[in-house]
Amino acid sequence: MSIPAIEVSGLTKSYGDVQALRGVDITIQKGEFFGLLGPNGAGKTTLINILTGLVFRDNGTTNVFGKDTVKNYRFTRSKIGIAAQELSVDWFFPIEKLLFFQAGYYGLKPAEAKPKINDLLERLGLSEKRESRLRQLSGGMKRRFQLAKALVHDPEIIILDEPTAGVDVELRRDLWDYLRDMHSGGKTILLTTHYIEEAEMLCENVAIINKGKILKEGSPKNLTDELGKAGITVQLGKIENADESYLSEFTYTREENRYHFSVKNPDSAMPQIIQQLSKTDVQIQSIECNVSSLEDVFLNLTGKGINE
Amino acid sequence: MNWIGLSTLIQREVGRFFSVYRQTVLPGLISSGLYITVFGFTLEQRISDIQGVPYTLFILPGLIMMNTLTNATSNTASSMLQMKLLQQLPDLLTAPLSGAEIALAYIIGGTVRGVVNGVLVLLLGVLLIGLPVMNVMGTIGFIFLVSWAFASMGLLLGQLAESWDQLAMMQNFFLTPLSFLGGIFYSINMLPEWAQKLSYINPIYYMINGIRYTILGISNSSISTSFWMAIFLTALFTTTAILLMQSGKKIKE
Repeated sequence: MSIPAIEVSGLTKSYGDVQALRGVDITIQKGEFFGLLGPNGAGKTTLINILTGLVFRDNGTTNVFGKDTVKNYRFTRSKIGIAAQELSVDWFFPIEKLLFFQAGYYGLKPAEAKPKINDLLERLGLSEKRESRLRQLSGGMKRRFQLAKALVHDPEIIILDEPTAGVDVELRRDLWDYLRDMHSGGKTILLTTHYIEEAEMLCENVAIINKGKILKEGSPKNLTDELGKAGITVQLGKIENADESYLSEFTYTREENRYHFSVKNPDSAMPQIIQQLSKTDVQIQSIECNVSSLEDVFLNLTGKGINE
Repeated sequence: MNWIGLSTLIQREVGRFFSVYRQTVLPGLISSGLYITVFGFTLEQRISDIQGVPYTLFILPGLIMMNTLTNATSNTASSMLQMKLLQQLPDLLTAPLSGAEIALAYIIGGTVRGVVNGVLVLLLGVLLIGLPVMNVMGTIGFIFLVSWAFASMGLLLGQLAESWDQLAMMQNFFLTPLSFLGGIFYSINMLPEWAQKLSYINPIYYMINGIRYTILGISNSSISTSFWMAIFLTALFTTTAILLMQSGKKIKE
């Protein structure tokens, strides 16, 4: 197997008495779209700040393409482009100039950076604003500029810290499309988010983090299959016969005439449930299918919702 | 060494202060012009020559030095604090730049501002009152050395400060008083003995007398003392600022 793009092992970090990371282990393969899913304060930003050199680690190792992020920081940082959650502010220069500066910090001469900057400004819909200062951009444009800054040196690994936090639905979908394009172009992407939908739609693998610990890791499908709680809710008409033995093969709860069946796979379970119910004289008034999501997985693992 | 990164950050630092030249270049010129006008055309007739030099000429080297060191200090200090407060610093800290490269770029940016301001006030003096410059290269070299020393000190302050208030306190309570008490407007021979002794522990006294010597050929301290003091301050502040930046203290968690 090739060297992982990112390998974190036994990582700990404390801020005074607060333990932000308590022994985190993560491996992200080259070309993988990986999501770090957790509520605010779970340790996501601390983890990526350690990877990028903004925060000192206490213990553990953090490697990028097999090299330590502290000892070989020039190598590891040149491989990473980061779009931070916090938007920076600059009063002095137009955004195009800021991108040239950013490229320069990564060792690119202006002539080398120019085609990439033009392309990014075009693709992210910022080319008409190239002479504008950051304060003159809308919130969505600032977010896109943040992404352009992360990509200007054409990094192999792109780290996005809550890239869609606080942006409108349209921009969120645009950014998702753009991230999918980058991923299909072979980039390794590490995304932190507290939006379940985002992780489910984009990521091949997800690590669920809470209170500085990775609780579970796997593909969204495997996680929901293993830990999700999909369900089928059936509302019945008047029930004359109290005998429920015909439902014994299912796990269910009953609330008056409303039955909730817990199933792993609603698609295959629904015909079976209907078939069993049809053997009796009960009348089916409605059927609802609740597809399992990572939200259920998170709830199952932590006992509370991700945004609670 | 990331040479392109270093030169890019220097360009940014120099471009930053030139883009707001009304705040960073013109004020020093205007205030120095006012000093020359007020003292040159009014007070000078009532104040006798000092060490054989007319009063306006006597104060000009001090004004050049005050402009040089305050501009060099405030460029690095305010730029670093601004970067910290406006979330710009992560762009540098996540790039493949070493702490020494970041520190050097800041110091060079501040040095350029110090030299530009110092040389412009020097030219103003030459144009307005025909300031004779005894040793042009020595004067510019000394302005450069002092700019570097105080740009390094400013970077140190910018790294340590957590608010504009703290930075303003350093400028207003230490730098400006030490500049005025360093002998811009007087020769220390005019002071009582105890005040003269106090001046000897003020490093800015040596900076002012150093440039007064390279321009006018007069000084209260020997030129070699001034030169070595400037070298000592440069080495001290540069080393400390680079080590602090490399350690990441006050800028990383």
